[in-house]
Amino acid sequence: MFSLAFRSVRQRPGRFVGTLLAAFLGATVTMTFNSMHDTAGAAGVDDRSAESLTLAAGVVGGYGTLLVFFAIASTLTVNVRQREEEMGLLRRTGATPAQIKRMIVGESVLVALAATVLAIGPAMLGGRALFDMFQDTDQVAADVDFAFGPIALSAGFGITLIAAAGAAYLAVRRATRTAAGAAGAGEPRGRLRNVGGGLALVTGLGGAATTFVFESTDPALMAPAAYGAILLSIGLAAFSPALLRMLLRRVGRPIGALGAGGYLAVLNTRQRAAELAGVLMPLVLFIGVATATVYMQAVESDAIEASGLAKSVDDKNLETMNLIVVGVIVGFACIMLINSLYAATSYRSREFGGQRLAGATPRQVLGMVVTEGLLLTVTGVVLGTAAGLAGLVPFNMVRTDTVWPEQSPLVWLGIVATAAAATMVTGWATARRALRTPAVVAVTKAA
Amino acid sequence: MTMFGRGRGSEPARNAEALRLVGVTKVYGTDAENSVTALDNVSLSLPAGSFTAVMGPSGSGKSTLLQCAAGLDRPDSGAVVVDGEEMTGGTEAQLAKFRRRRVGFVFQQYNLLPTLTVAQNTTLPLKLAGRRVDREKARTILAQVGLADRLGHRPDELSGGQRQRVAIARALVTEPSVIFADEPTGALDTRSARDVLHLLQEAVRFHGRTVVMVTHDPVAASYADSVLFLADGRLAGYMNAPTVDSVAERLAHLGDDVPAGV
Repeated sequence: MFSLAFRSVRQRPGRFVGTLLAAFLGATVTMTFNSMHDTAGAAGVDDRSAESLTLAAGVVGGYGTLLVFFAIASTLTVNVRQREEEMGLLRRTGATPAQIKRMIVGESVLVALAATVLAIGPAMLGGRALFDMFQDTDQVAADVDFAFGPIALSAGFGITLIAAAGAAYLAVRRATRTAAGAAGAGEPRGRLRNVGGGLALVTGLGGAATTFVFESTDPALMAPAAYGAILLSIGLAAFSPALLRMLLRRVGRPIGALGAGGYLAVLNTRQRAAELAGVLMPLVLFIGVATATVYMQAVESDAIEASGLAKSVDDKNLETMNLIVVGVIVGFACIMLINSLYAATSYRSREFGGQRLAGATPRQVLGMVVTEGLLLTVTGVVLGTAAGLAGLVPFNMVRTDTVWPEQSPLVWLGIVATAAAATMVTGWATARRALRTPAVVAVTKAA
Repeated sequence: MTMFGRGRGSEPARNAEALRLVGVTKVYGTDAENSVTALDNVSLSLPAGSFTAVMGPSGSGKSTLLQCAAGLDRPDSGAVVVDGEEMTGGTEAQLAKFRRRRVGFVFQQYNLLPTLTVAQNTTLPLKLAGRRVDREKARTILAQVGLADRLGHRPDELSGGQRQRVAIARALVTEPSVIFADEPTGALDTRSARDVLHLLQEAVRFHGRTVVMVTHDPVAASYADSVLFLADGRLAGYMNAPTVDSVAERLAHLGDDVPAGV
């Protein structure tokens, strides 16, 4: 089965692009930061520099691994779902579920291996850039040399390969189970999501509330607020279908009156609200985390400036870490958003075909997809901003004794615009591609 | 060119001739080696209010004929005239607008939208065309196909036969000149198939529509007023008042008597 995996990757490299990209980014981030461990571990590095470097390496450690896993899992789920027919064919030819599992896991390990090898060069450059930044801001002494060594490499290969194998295993297990005819498969998942979402909401609120326990100058003040915002984003995304339905009750009628595209968009979104939670999760995470972290950092910088003190090494460390956290989470959230939306839209080629045969012009279909994207964006912006504010406002209250941060909303607008663009452009471009198939062919394909 | 079928519309038709094909040719594939001539200079004329079955072996071009006649595919040469108006649209949007008023579809795989209810699926073509949605009329048509108590159901809550009846109601609601049915009973059991075929007959007799049905099943074809036979992309025969046995007999010997040129 491994040789089959090898051939399948070699013959059809195109369909692994998503997985390759996710694994490549994951490996680059992992190796970039773990090379700080290599650098700190070299002989003759002073304690202060070593601490800065180790802190940087540690910050993406835990959640970085989790993100790599989620990103690869999200792309692999798509890959496996698109290949249900091929897997059915293999099964009818006599492949056992275990053999199919080995093939899919083998493929994704191969792709992850290639991605990690490709990532070595960029990670060395990235590590060097990160290191130079530490030196330029005097967080690391000038006589320390950058090193890229065994820790970076083993972490890069280890984390990426394990994440790829694990994600592939889960994706194919879910696919083979669904194929076995479990019609009610959606039910336990929905319950699991509610329980998980409830837990995330409670701990997130707790985290944000913990902020009030800290002193206004405590260096750790930002941590509970930031984690609160992340957890609240996840929790709110789990309950986003309810908000989406509420939104539809309000705006469904006026949007439906706009034309056939809007009419279909409202009906579709109402029906598929539960499935859309998967697309809303990265969207809410993107907006929530970016809003909370960027604004907290701005509040922090302004507060230090107002106190008349210069930024300490710790302050600079924190600022660097914050920007990194935002960059990494936002980058991965964006990949997951585009990937899951691409999957959700390309899967609808048959539905689009049916609409066209019922008399829809391509323009009406695209109008429907864009309207759906708009509804998604509005929901994501409301929930993401709520999660971000839930972290930001307590932080601002403790740090500056005012409730509302005084920073300009321009950055928030930029975040919202990026999220909206990613959502609409992905949906629109994918639908346009799906429309290239003649309607009669689209409805008979994979019937 | 021959006039096929017997008009028996119970309401006045808009145009005496519902569908006309003139010298329609369709070739798949570009290079001379691998190209297949799916339709070879086919001309025909169907009067309004007729029910015609199109039959032929696999690869005879019957699906291509339906797709070209219905404006789903563009012929390489020749003209298609529906209800007196020639199909000239170049873009998909133009073709879609042409089809909206003149053509209705019934497919083997129903092609209902899963997120819409029975009533919403039925009125969708009107919505898409920006026409006034007459809910009362839609309800009447759905009652005529026996789905009065299913208006709020979604397609996945219906049997295959019920889904096909929704598709027929959807095809009737826009009052098109021609309803094209592509193997409408191909996925149904014999009882549901009979119901669907009766409904297609009623579409002709009571609603005054013209029905063109592609099928490989002699039983289905026997419900039509007349049968057109296709072989190798050419018209290969015509039969009035078909019966199951006569159609099956003719199909079995279709290869024997294909004339050199139509």
